[in-house]
Amino acid sequence: MNRMKQLIKEYQNIEIPEELHTVVEQALRQKKKRKPKKMYIGFAVAAILFISSVNTSSTIAHAFSDIPVLGKMVNLITFREYRVNEDTYNANIKVPAVTNLDNKELEKSLNEKYLQENEKLYQEFLKDMEEVKKSGGGHLGIDSGYEIKTDNEQLLSIARYNVNTVGSSSTTMKFDTIDKKNQILINLPSLFEDEDYVDVISENIKEQMRAQMKANPEVSYWVSGIGEEVFDSFEKIGKEQNFYINNQGKLVISFDKYEVSPGFMGVVEFIIPTDVIQDQLVSNEYIK
Amino acid sequence: MFKKRKIEKAFIQFVTENEANLYRFAYNYVKNQQDALDVVQESIRKGLCSIHKIEDVSVIKSWMYRIVINTSIDSIRKHKKVHPMESEAIEHLLGGTDKYENIDLKNAIESLPHNYHAIIFLRFFEDLKIEEIAKVLEENANTIKTRLYRALKLLRIELEDGIQEDQRYE
Repeated sequence: MNRMKQLIKEYQNIEIPEELHTVVEQALRQKKKRKPKKMYIGFAVAAILFISSVNTSSTIAHAFSDIPVLGKMVNLITFREYRVNEDTYNANIKVPAVTNLDNKELEKSLNEKYLQENEKLYQEFLKDMEEVKKSGGGHLGIDSGYEIKTDNEQLLSIARYNVNTVGSSSTTMKFDTIDKKNQILINLPSLFEDEDYVDVISENIKEQMRAQMKANPEVSYWVSGIGEEVFDSFEKIGKEQNFYINNQGKLVISFDKYEVSPGFMGVVEFIIPTDVIQDQLVSNEYIK
Repeated sequence: MFKKRKIEKAFIQFVTENEANLYRFAYNYVKNQQDALDVVQESIRKGLCSIHKIEDVSVIKSWMYRIVINTSIDSIRKHKKVHPMESEAIEHLLGGTDKYENIDLKNAIESLPHNYHAIIFLRFFEDLKIEEIAKVLEENANTIKTRLYRALKLLRIELEDGIQEDQRYE
């Protein structure tokens, strides 16, 4: 056993590199940067320039929206920001606001929703922060903002993301798709004739999941029929599942982190081929 | 939500307090500094990604060791051909007069099949209890015990110490 002891001693003498601590700290702190964080920087800058003016004066907002080229840009602005920046507590919440819609009722209801949700988020964060502080401290972070998914003649799709970091992070997304021409908010059921779309889309997504997993072993979804027993596998999308319509006029279904796949997959999206849902669609007005 | 946070806090604490152990453990597999650091980093990332699956603080230790083992094995597989040798290791080979014996034992341990190898390391080098090793390797405690004896026998190490230490935990 002597030899073993000596070997153990040798093992314990393995030199610990100086950078280990930094590497560990960084790894623990890393916020897994997901897609939603890729903000449109150009847009953000433009929006910031306008925030104060649009925020204070509706006349100026109107003035801007009358300028044809800029008009389109002012469609979505950062209306308000909440920030907390203490050592281990970070909140960064950007509240979007839609401007420039002729349907003022819709504009108001969307903007009120955005403001209320984010105000609530901010208050909850403050509350959580107090609790964590009381129980001895820890890391807490929230990053909430928005991204424009689609902005064309006809449609404006807004994605709002919310990344919650408590050691690990969870990301939730919310989408709103507005028909600019008719000035209405589009929801998923309104695109289809009846509720059959739930099954049709779900089947297509499952096929896509299996195909992706087959093609790439690094990809993983909780789906049945891949030879492994899956606990709590993905069955069906919700009737009001997160969705948006992309610039190509394709329906995109989105799932939050952990909703249908392990955390490392992040937020996942599936583009549904139009011919798959053609029979269910009310028209090809939005989806082509 | 609160329980989840508690587990995450425990995880962060465990990793911070045991970073040296986790590093040595990884080093022992991958045999060089850079890869060992990478393995530690990657293991933490994997840990954070699936921490939500952990239900109880008590399993964090064995769960984390399992991640480090798997990540190390992945890393070895990736860099299968080349093992950059570090200066100390070279000195070790050139300089030591009375170390031959140990190099033999070291080689012997390393040539053990993976399962046995891991048991020896977790038991003697990381000082984990049999039950903890069982959790790391997802086997039952008796299997681990049998393998441990068999491994020691293969290494032709006298068993007295081993037996005593084992019985402590029974």
